[in-house]
Amino acid sequence: MKRMSGYPEYMQESLRLVEKTRPERIGKTFPAMTAEEKERILRDWHPDYKEESKRPLRIGPCKGQVMPHEVADILEAHPAITPDEIDLTDIAYDLDVLVIGAGGAGLSAALLAHENGVERDRILMVQKLRLGDANSKMSQGGIQAADAPDDSPTLHYLDVIGGGHFANDPDLVEALVKEGPDVIKWHEELGVIYDKNPDGTMQLAPGGGTCRRRMHSCKDYTGLEITRVLVDEFLNREIPYVEFTCAVELLMDDKGQVAGSVLYDLDSDEYLIARAKSTVLATGGFGRLHIQGFETTNHYGATGDGIALAYHVGARLRDLDSTQFHPTGAAYPEQIVGQLCTEKLRGRGAQPVNKYGELFVYPLETRDVEASAIIRECYERENGVVTPTGMRGVWLDTPLIDIINGEGTIEREFAAMFRNFKKFDIDIREEPMLVFPTLHYQNGGVAINTRSETSIPGLYAAGEVAGGVHGKNRLMGNSQLDLYVFGRRAGRFAAERAKKISLGKLTLSHLDRYERWLAEAGIETDRRAPILLPEYRGKRTLEHQLKLL
Amino acid sequence: MRLPYYPGCTLKTTAQNFEESALASARALGVELVELPRWNCCGTVHALAKDDVMHYLAPIRNLIRVEEMAESGLVDEKRVVTLCAMCYNTLKRANAVVKEDQEKMQKVREIMERENPYGGSVQVVHLLQVLRDLDWSKVADRVERPLKGLRVAPYYGCLLLRPRGFGIDDVDNPQVMERLLEALGAEVVNIPFKTKCCGAYHTVQMKEVVAELSHRILDQASSAGADMVATACPLCEYNLGPRQEEVKKLFRGFAPLPVVYFTQLMALAFGLEEATGFEQNDPDPRPALRARGLLKEES
Amino acid sequence: MMDDEVEMVTIYVMGKRHRVPAGLTIMKAMEYAGHQFRRGAGCRGGFCGACATIYRTKGSYKLQGALACQKIVEDGMYIAQIPFSPAEKKTYNIEELRPDAGVFLEYYPEIARCLSCNTCTKACPQDIMVMDYVQAALRGDVEEAAKLSFDCIGCGLCAVRCPAEIVPYNIGQLARRLYSRHIVGPTEHVLKRVREIEEGRFDEEIEELKTLDREALQERYETRERRL
Repeated sequence: MKRMSGYPEYMQESLRLVEKTRPERIGKTFPAMTAEEKERILRDWHPDYKEESKRPLRIGPCKGQVMPHEVADILEAHPAITPDEIDLTDIAYDLDVLVIGAGGAGLSAALLAHENGVERDRILMVQKLRLGDANSKMSQGGIQAADAPDDSPTLHYLDVIGGGHFANDPDLVEALVKEGPDVIKWHEELGVIYDKNPDGTMQLAPGGGTCRRRMHSCKDYTGLEITRVLVDEFLNREIPYVEFTCAVELLMDDKGQVAGSVLYDLDSDEYLIARAKSTVLATGGFGRLHIQGFETTNHYGATGDGIALAYHVGARLRDLDSTQFHPTGAAYPEQIVGQLCTEKLRGRGAQPVNKYGELFVYPLETRDVEASAIIRECYERENGVVTPTGMRGVWLDTPLIDIINGEGTIEREFAAMFRNFKKFDIDIREEPMLVFPTLHYQNGGVAINTRSETSIPGLYAAGEVAGGVHGKNRLMGNSQLDLYVFGRRAGRFAAERAKKISLGKLTLSHLDRYERWLAEAGIETDRRAPILLPEYRGKRTLEHQLKLL
Repeated sequence: MRLPYYPGCTLKTTAQNFEESALASARALGVELVELPRWNCCGTVHALAKDDVMHYLAPIRNLIRVEEMAESGLVDEKRVVTLCAMCYNTLKRANAVVKEDQEKMQKVREIMERENPYGGSVQVVHLLQVLRDLDWSKVADRVERPLKGLRVAPYYGCLLLRPRGFGIDDVDNPQVMERLLEALGAEVVNIPFKTKCCGAYHTVQMKEVVAELSHRILDQASSAGADMVATACPLCEYNLGPRQEEVKKLFRGFAPLPVVYFTQLMALAFGLEEATGFEQNDPDPRPALRARGLLKEES
Repeated sequence: MMDDEVEMVTIYVMGKRHRVPAGLTIMKAMEYAGHQFRRGAGCRGGFCGACATIYRTKGSYKLQGALACQKIVEDGMYIAQIPFSPAEKKTYNIEELRPDAGVFLEYYPEIARCLSCNTCTKACPQDIMVMDYVQAALRGDVEEAAKLSFDCIGCGLCAVRCPAEIVPYNIGQLARRLYSRHIVGPTEHVLKRVREIEEGRFDEEIEELKTLDREALQERYETRERRL
């Protein structure tokens, strides 16, 4: 072969087949599945539908809710601290609004709390890692909003609720779709650069399960662009923030309200009390729990802290049985296994094909269906390509993008994908990517209403930590939207509440209650939650570790 | 008597006898040479400090771009045209230096690392040279509205002419702008100070120096009956033009004189009035042009 | 080390020698060697810039920059992370600024010290033409500065390497916001749709969908017209 290939010799034959069938596949597609076919393939092949991967929760107000073992494990765990370790009279921060998490939802909440009359010194944002370090930043393909002339919030509503298998909270969906265009307007006012057509209209792409082209993008750095603008604006407002500081428990008062948080400084290992009239939980999802051992697209900090914190104060959870596996995570090379290959690739014409170069699925099914079809192709039909480490995958035929949309499209619109594969000598303009589903998103979470209020007064939640917006399956581009719609609401209503209420005496008695629940259920464990950071150290190191310092 | 003594590196290595004898003799005369408690190399041998490679990175990088541009077929030749006298001068000199000094060229390449190596094939020219090469008759043929009756004093300043060998014309008596103005139908007003310095970057810290120099040039032009001065350098334009505010403060009775770029007059003569941009000049040349009936707009 | 099956390489993490499997990224190699990141790890996918790292390889005096999550270890590699680059971000009201060179000189006057030495570009793990966008900003070409800097993930390596002590990523951020806010401006069909929603144009339709039972709603969903 003339061209350079980043793939091993034994894959070349399959690559040649992909190349051979490529011309025939241009302009062709695979028929979309019927409702019955979808139901069947999900039941048979989607990881969520494996009974043995889940169990009913044994404690608390949501006892009986079924969820993956890894999630149940952090809920059926001891709180990270005990009340007697903490001096609640030594208050480090006395606040109106505390925002926990500095991704898209947290940043939006802080900005809106400020705009809604909370003095900046009465706001604090705490963040486990750096300001803006979150899954929000990693979103590549886009954000949905029904602002095209042939589109409408009504159609968006249908897509969201159908994609979520009708399990979504209709009021949340309505809020999401109706506020979409305003979010885009807000972003442009702040200075986000969206991709546009030469005539000044938005360049819109389809996504899995959308009936219109509704995806707004900033090349394939959509989340990066939006997040860094929000961070810049947040810094301009000079709102106080602390990085490398985690929320390890929520505080309550004797009136049953959430009243801030016990913080933990990752540099000094000291705890700090932040008392707040309103607390916004914007801690993101649980990808780093590696549900069923899947690789993940998620940020280092995505350890599901928020659901643990919220459950410790008794907040209602929902839809945690449902996990999103993104159909196309990298399966090769080994160094980037599990990393996201954006759905926008399929939106712009890339097709999933098997080792014979054959189409086997409509490229824009909803994510759960698309992922199931890829798993079936690899494990039932044995039509996948096996990697040197034994993983299986199918080809995502990216060269089609330039063929269909003109040379230069990949470099222009997929700068990140192009760059990240080029490092491993794979030129996605010439060669396909090898992909397999990867753990991507926590569909459920802490239940909220349209004011981003949880079931516990004083506690707000927004973004991936919250549940109800996406039902049992989220569509591409709706989590980016969700962040800003419910993040802004959380900020606004948290500010309103802070003006009205007063706090009672601080307490951590809910932790004692939690211990009782554990004891009553007969759960004996040395697990603690939140876990804050995942553990990736070498096995040998961990086996020999002593905690001397 | 105790005097601070700076030895230098050589005195500690190969010229120890030099130091030893000096210190001893001085002491004999009652002079104690006290070595600086903390010192470093005087600077003479620091390779990176001694050579001036850093100065050449910016200009040579641009010349590399010219070669890349020519290779991709975007242009017909590698004669890169400049307008600003400062840019012309910097690029031209840098080009000459690295072309002659292979060692320097090599160093520039090494430091740049990621750029294509410079092939040395670029020629740096000024637009005035391109015009001259086209032939003045060709310029004259294109004139739609001759600048009849407009009295213009060409002013070159330093950087288009000096140092000798790098200029676009004769150092002592350049003629290229004169020929252009004639071709445009204007009347050339010759002033002896046309190659004198305008004060250049003194304009930042020593405005009065610039005001004085500018005044001499402008005064000569006014006295010779010029309607305006034409220049080819943005810095000269600034020092002769907007700096007239300072001139006014120092020289009572000074009458402002417009200063324009030669290209503005060329555009006007070619009937491209919309491209002249006279509204950006200070002082405003339009009253003088209007007085000669050279502007379309009536106001 | 007793691992016979995997090819191992030697790396030096802040001087300390470790044997790690070949083919790991710097980040995974450091974890293998026993580091648990608090700072210096972020998205682990090349999108956040938290894991800026400098290194030298065997036999080379060149100091190079990389993202720990993207760069594969090499035998004899010396590694140090620079998870933070000290720099002040100026505060401004984006609405009130004008998109010209003056803005950059006002907030970041050190930009005028740029020598065009290109060290920033060489340091960039994203292969962005950093010097070119700094130069574009310096001459007031906000659009060019915005476009050239677009793929910046803010790792800070350009800023720690610049001999003129410029902080390029701050310049790029300002340029991009200026470009969108003041040069591109809002999108007409977005503003129109926002007005329509405010006027309640879609309220009835959505209200009606909310009254449908599961079956009727599913029917509506399955039969919706697709126009892609």
